[in-house]
Amino acid sequence: MAVALAVPPTRMELLKLRQRVGLAQRGHDLLKEKMDALVIEFFEVVKRIQEARAKALEQLSVAHRALSMCLAIMGTLETKQASKEAKRELQMEISTRYIMGIAVPAVEVEEVERNALMRGYGLHMTSSLLDRASREFERALKFLIGLAELEGSAFAIARELEKTKRRVNALEYILIPRLKEALKFIMMRLDEMERENFTRLKRIKAMLEERE
Amino acid sequence: MSFKIAVVGDQDTVTGFALAGATYAHIYMTKEETLGKLGEFLASDEIGLVLITHRVAEELGHEFLWMMQTKRLLPLVLRIPDKTGYVPKVDELREIIKRTVGVEIMVRKEGG
Repeated sequence: MAVALAVPPTRMELLKLRQRVGLAQRGHDLLKEKMDALVIEFFEVVKRIQEARAKALEQLSVAHRALSMCLAIMGTLETKQASKEAKRELQMEISTRYIMGIAVPAVEVEEVERNALMRGYGLHMTSSLLDRASREFERALKFLIGLAELEGSAFAIARELEKTKRRVNALEYILIPRLKEALKFIMMRLDEMERENFTRLKRIKAMLEERE
Repeated sequence: MSFKIAVVGDQDTVTGFALAGATYAHIYMTKEETLGKLGEFLASDEIGLVLITHRVAEELGHEFLWMMQTKRLLPLVLRIPDKTGYVPKVDELREIIKRTVGVEIMVRKEGG
């Protein structure tokens, strides 16, 4: 049972409380609607994540296989050396989008795949397996960037969803019941006072009649 | 805004993504060192995406999770499997769904 707020049982307070209940109810309804919309949005993203993740992981394992081949045939040291020589300046554009007032990342990436000359390692001493491994990793990276964007959105939405849920529950299970309890208390108290007054008047009337 | 990419993981993962053009890399040796480096990556303004292998993320434990909770929107952090394809059994996304929606909902795969 909700604990009643400590309020003076006056008519003024009753009016104020009625107003507060109305406001709380309206806020609750709005938040609940927001929560429903967020859930829909969230599942939309989750569905896309699952597709993107399957694709990215698939490509990543292909890339690792290509790299293993390269390590085996070209040699570990040489491959490491090539990776140090490679141009490592991939840029991605990240801006923020807003879904229902929540900032989510929006990533744009220019072409991730490069041709062998643009990668920056010497072609003279390297095997074509290195090119293949690089290409597969570039592809994997492209998928992973897309996946990161989606996961970032999902986390942002989930965080907001949790916050909204807390608020809805706080209103629904704490604030509104408390206000209603207080409202009831005041109404009972006012009724009681009226009854008291009624009997008091009756009694006074009886006393007056006796005196005459 | 234009951002660069960082990788944290084992030697092979780092080599692979370096070949693909990731600018920053850190190879996992000790926990303290990696945590420090990761903190640096997260604080940097020019890094937009940090890739970290699941294995390393687990190795870092709750300090890593705490970093994820407190980080800003950017850089994004994505956990990836390493060359053995290691992915933890507990799907974090599913955990979140369970926590926020209250029930576990299996999202059906298309055509599956």
